[in-house]
Amino acid sequence: MTNSIGELVDADVLLITGSNTTETHPQIGRNILEAVDRGAKLLVIDPRKTDIARQADIHLALRPGTDIALINAMMRIILDEDLADDLFISMRTENFIALRDYLHRLDLDELARITEIDRATIHEAACTYARSSKSVICYCLGVTQHTCGTDNVQAVANLAMLTGNVEKKHSGVDPLRGQNNVQGACDMAALPAVLPGYQSLADLEVQKRFRDVWKHDIPTTPGKSLTEMTHSGKDGSIKAMFIMGENPALSDPHLNRVKTTLENLDFLAVSDIFLTETAQLADVVFPAASFAEKGGTITNSERRVQICRRAIPPIHNCRPDSHIIMDLGKRIGCPGMDFDSDAEIMEEISLLTPIYGGMHYDRLARNHGLQWPCLDRNHPGTEFLHKYYFARGKGRFTITRHQEPYEKTEKKYPFTLVTGRGSYHHYHTATMSRNSKRLVREYPLALLEINRADCEKLQLKDGETVELSSKRGTVRITTQITDRVKPGTVFSSFHFFEVPINELTVDAMDPKSKCPEFKVCAVQLKKVAHD
Amino acid sequence: MNKNFIPAQAIIREIIRENEQIATFRLELTNKRLPFTFLPGQFLMLSVPHCGEAAISISSSPDRLPLIDLSIRRAGELTTAIHGMKKGDQVGIRGPFGKAFPIEDFANRDLLFVAGGIGLAPLKSVIDHCLFQSGLEEDAVQSITLLYGSRTPLDIAFKQAIESWQKQGVDCRLTVDEKDSTWNGHVGLVTELLTDVTISSNTRALVCGPPIMIRFVIASLADLGCGDESIFTTLERHMKCGMGICGHCHLDGRLICLDGPVFNVSQLKKLDVMEFAR
Amino acid sequence: MIDLKELILSKDNLYPLLRKLRKEARLIAPVKNEHGDTLFRPVGDRDTTDIDLENQPQESLKPFFLPQQETLAGYTINKGEYSFSPPPPALDTIFFGVRSCDLTALLYMDLIFSKPFKDATYFDRRNHSLIITLGCNQPFANCFCEATSSGPYLEYGYGLQFIDLGDRYYVSAGRGKGADLLNKWSYFFREVEEEDQNRRYQLFLEARGQFTRNIQVPHACRKLQQEPVAEAIWEKLSSRCYDCGGCAYVCPTCTCFSVDDKPQDNSSGIRVRSWDACTSSGFTRMTGGHNPVDRTRHALKRRFLHKLKHDFASHGKASCTGCGRCVDICFGGVDITTFIELFTQQEKP
Repeated sequence: MTNSIGELVDADVLLITGSNTTETHPQIGRNILEAVDRGAKLLVIDPRKTDIARQADIHLALRPGTDIALINAMMRIILDEDLADDLFISMRTENFIALRDYLHRLDLDELARITEIDRATIHEAACTYARSSKSVICYCLGVTQHTCGTDNVQAVANLAMLTGNVEKKHSGVDPLRGQNNVQGACDMAALPAVLPGYQSLADLEVQKRFRDVWKHDIPTTPGKSLTEMTHSGKDGSIKAMFIMGENPALSDPHLNRVKTTLENLDFLAVSDIFLTETAQLADVVFPAASFAEKGGTITNSERRVQICRRAIPPIHNCRPDSHIIMDLGKRIGCPGMDFDSDAEIMEEISLLTPIYGGMHYDRLARNHGLQWPCLDRNHPGTEFLHKYYFARGKGRFTITRHQEPYEKTEKKYPFTLVTGRGSYHHYHTATMSRNSKRLVREYPLALLEINRADCEKLQLKDGETVELSSKRGTVRITTQITDRVKPGTVFSSFHFFEVPINELTVDAMDPKSKCPEFKVCAVQLKKVAHD
Repeated sequence: MNKNFIPAQAIIREIIRENEQIATFRLELTNKRLPFTFLPGQFLMLSVPHCGEAAISISSSPDRLPLIDLSIRRAGELTTAIHGMKKGDQVGIRGPFGKAFPIEDFANRDLLFVAGGIGLAPLKSVIDHCLFQSGLEEDAVQSITLLYGSRTPLDIAFKQAIESWQKQGVDCRLTVDEKDSTWNGHVGLVTELLTDVTISSNTRALVCGPPIMIRFVIASLADLGCGDESIFTTLERHMKCGMGICGHCHLDGRLICLDGPVFNVSQLKKLDVMEFAR
Repeated sequence: MIDLKELILSKDNLYPLLRKLRKEARLIAPVKNEHGDTLFRPVGDRDTTDIDLENQPQESLKPFFLPQQETLAGYTINKGEYSFSPPPPALDTIFFGVRSCDLTALLYMDLIFSKPFKDATYFDRRNHSLIITLGCNQPFANCFCEATSSGPYLEYGYGLQFIDLGDRYYVSAGRGKGADLLNKWSYFFREVEEEDQNRRYQLFLEARGQFTRNIQVPHACRKLQQEPVAEAIWEKLSSRCYDCGGCAYVCPTCTCFSVDDKPQDNSSGIRVRSWDACTSSGFTRMTGGHNPVDRTRHALKRRFLHKLKHDFASHGKASCTGCGRCVDICFGGVDITTFIELFTQQEKP
């Protein structure tokens, strides 16, 4: 996030796109609703009428996968209405002319047709966003989980820069992270092509620094992305895997490919708190300590590093991941695998990671943590990013072109399937949440959100079991008639292992981020014959 | 037996398989010295090992004590577990809870019972009790008519009881939603059977079944001239204590386990009951 | 005519008195921990000075009398014998520094858990406890206890009530254990003088004038007896309810619970009572899926009507004690004060 979460409350316009905020980011949702209560305008872009879309002043229920078309339309309208921030554009950006010329050649009626939203609504949303100098955009996986996900994000950045809504307090572009410490994991370079703190693998000085401290050579070329690993199939490029706290056997797209890959490995080790579907395939399972049984820091969406203290000692023989890794490291002969406190680990992080430079434990223990960049012990942390300059200097407009999703609907598969989290109560593959009787009570089974009109055409009732299939697989699932989805679109969660919806999804990915297109694939529904 | 959540031990003396889904479990308290009695319409909280508790209506008459019948439809974890138990196994019971049917008001009345599926269970307690009383007292009921709907002929439950009632002069009229080759009786909803029934100011109607059935039957009875004070039903709710404190059965300021589960329609109309909203 | 004692305790004598009390029973008081949270905790020997009487405790007394998770009984299945055993007995406990709203909530819970049957575990705890309250001279930001007749000072219901007069406390005894305590430790106290009574009264008036929020609770309660709430209000509020259950969990007078049996192994287990929230759809959903309540439109209806309409009708006052905790916690901004404000402005249909 470029903003801090607390700034959202004072924004005048909030544009939420691809985020079911109240269900998945309750605290951020709370700030958004508070802003609305103070008079802010709420614009929501989502194919579904989620709870937050219901609160919106304008809900843009676009056809899944048409975000670029919608945002291009909005930018074109902003230019037509003379609402662009010319001063900001000239001083802080480059390549505007190319974008402007491209937008002028677009046909607004065509874009309205592509997105299935009428021009008047797009017009109103665009003007509302552009007229305010305190406009914030929040986006989440609805934007990134597409084959054009990177371009989607670029389009969002274009929109913000066009209106100058990015360098000040109460305005900006805020990606909401999907897991509570995915930001931290990325910061520590659990990514294939960077070193901790997003330092470049190719930078010789950085390489030397790491070699000096770690007393070992480090890889200098990029590794593989998640789906490159879990979808390598039988090609033998991966011989062994160590999977920690991730359940690709249920959460990755095109599950059959994942199963093939995992089953063909020479060796699979898994570290997790429960025996997940992935752990069941492993040769060795390390019982890991949960968040309550270990200490450490967590970095959230607003780049805030907070200490998370251990509440209870580990139960039975489970151990924190750091201890498991240190033990393994020692046995492999890795130097330096003998940290005896979280504070000591944090010190090495501070030493090697400039943006975490001043994140010492005693400082983090005060004031609910610090936001990076925090370069040294005296640095107070950074509330909002890009205050005076973008990380690369000037912001660059990049033309983004609408591209259709990888898989289009056709006669045999006439519905678009969108997947995501199903409710407030379950988290991802529900490894944890389905162990709570109360959470299970609230959302006990996999449901397929379907519009009433579609149900009537297919003569389906509410709560009926149907067979849902795509070119890749089939599941049986229970219908839930709702107006949350428009006719032609259905929605399912991926929480329930007995309804592995990812057997249906495509594994086509965004070429740059390698993020799979979970949000769009083509499916058909069939009544299940009564027994 | 009620002051805490500790049940009394009971043993399964007999199991009667009523149909594929429903079985009647005939229980007896193992501690015979525990004073226990109940009135028709009341329910128990049944404990099944490892499954917790559920509220189940008593389907036998108090005259059959020390035996207590619970007729249970297999639906969730607890009911499936008890269906897997055998004669001689032990369960726990707490109770009795709830307001009973106003039996005193039924003397000399024409009783009309309208039931669907497992809904016959609490009404069976009343029917058996009235028949037992009629053998003893002068101001017994005037007449008993039963209209009973099931999905298919195979689903008809309480067959033994129905046969016995017919022998004792109860006018039993059955219907099914879908017939099979063996069925010669009425096919259709139980509301259709109402057209052939005489309703007078002396009629007292007791209705129990799926919520949608109760709604339509109550409406039809009202159309046929049955007064709101003369129509009774028993409401089903998710319950956790039976004693008026857990809050689950709270309905518009009332607690179904204390103020019900038996209500007459005039009482129901004063409450905001979603399933009966017209 | 029982003479209810009133005495003065110099602040110098507070910790010595508490230390004596701590030796007789478990002493529980608001304690500020290292993270800056003020919570009711048992006070150890060295901790007496950690007692925090400045900040509102984040929780009420509810966790001590109706714990979030409580073992009601243990059960075993042994050679066909299915039997239950009662839970361990309660400890003698003295609660110190309880605010008026939280004591009022406890008195309400007494009613709930005694009709029609006395709940054994609840009353075991209740009978083994003494409550010493601290009247509020300074309401917190979200408080509205005056509107709910549950503060800032109380007239009855406590074991002892302490009012902070500056360098001393004005102590009033309720019946029973409170009066006994004053008798037993009388050497810590002195007689009340007119100056003390005047100061107490003055502080009371000042406290009443410092509420920042004006929530029209009695007006809303009376209006609810006469007028139905517009569907639009229920739908608007319910559309923002996250279903987190937070309001019901922090509320001192929300007593709804669920009971579940938890197997420990094949032949034994425990019967556990845990907090539940009527705002959830699973609260009323029956096996088989039928749900007599539609959560999307009516998530908050039962809870608010229960506190403001039905309890007002049954007990003469709302069961909301104005503690303001739900206002703090609600993610959707649809706490009870939002409802009261919307409803009191509703035009009569």
